[in-house]
Amino acid sequence: MKLTSEEQRQLKDRVLPLLDDLHRLAYHLCHDENDTEDLVAETIKKACEKFRTLRDHGKIKPWLFRILRNTFVSLCRERKKYATIKYQEDNENEDERFSLFAEVSQPFLLWWGNPERELVNKLLEEDIKQALSEIQPEFRFVVVLCDVEGLSYREISNILDIPIGTVRSRIARGRSMLQRKLYDHAVEKGLIRKRDRHYEKI
Amino acid sequence: MKKSNHKNISCEEALKRVFDYIDDHIQNTSRDEFEYHIELCRHCFDRVEFEKLLKSRLQALRYKRSSEWLRERVEDIIAEF
Ligand SMILES: [Zn+2]
Repeated sequence: MKLTSEEQRQLKDRVLPLLDDLHRLAYHLCHDENDTEDLVAETIKKACEKFRTLRDHGKIKPWLFRILRNTFVSLCRERKKYATIKYQEDNENEDERFSLFAEVSQPFLLWWGNPERELVNKLLEEDIKQALSEIQPEFRFVVVLCDVEGLSYREISNILDIPIGTVRSRIARGRSMLQRKLYDHAVEKGLIRKRDRHYEKI
Repeated sequence: MKKSNHKNISCEEALKRVFDYIDDHIQNTSRDEFEYHIELCRHCFDRVEFEKLLKSRLQALRYKRSSEWLRERVEDIIAEF
């Protein structure tokens, strides 16, 4: 159904001020200019299709973010370019979570030296982006919203329309995945050496 | 210095609150207990500093480019609907 010109104007007035937010979020998910532009464009197309179902125009921001997230997840499926979506949320076990800190810190160093902080400082922006792009999209999405965009658990819960407890556990799992990737990169780049569950500084 | 009438929670308990703490999703007693613990426990303090540092590295990725260049494409899409 075509939008009336009044509806087009309403949508435009509400979408354009949010374009920077949408663009930034899309970029953090894709890390590629072309994909970012396509993702935003596709999101806007879907928003046009669904605009009449949006009752409360005051809630357009979480509504658009939700569309962007759904669009991203389906683009991931189509293109198979980004990590495939696997849900293991239900059988997650807190003890199995990976912690970079636990792998790298050396408590016996006592008051001098912080190998874990040194490692984080040594990582390049590219390393972090790369690790982020390698974790499952659903988890990448919450980590980006929380850590990069600085949104609260409540705001994320509104965007994804899921309970705060689920946001909280998804962030924890996302960080665990991210830290495992960072650890693998660090080992690969020779920043740390894998040795049993400990490491030796090189 | 925090009031010392807070109970000292275990490291295991503190560990469960680290993300809540760095994400500012912790309040009142729970927060006070946590802060009291990390004042006393070097290991948990280091863990918090580490997670904060990593979070700050992610924050620094925040993309700054304006979306001005996308505006036209978006306006066209809306106009076509
Ligand atoms: Zn402790």
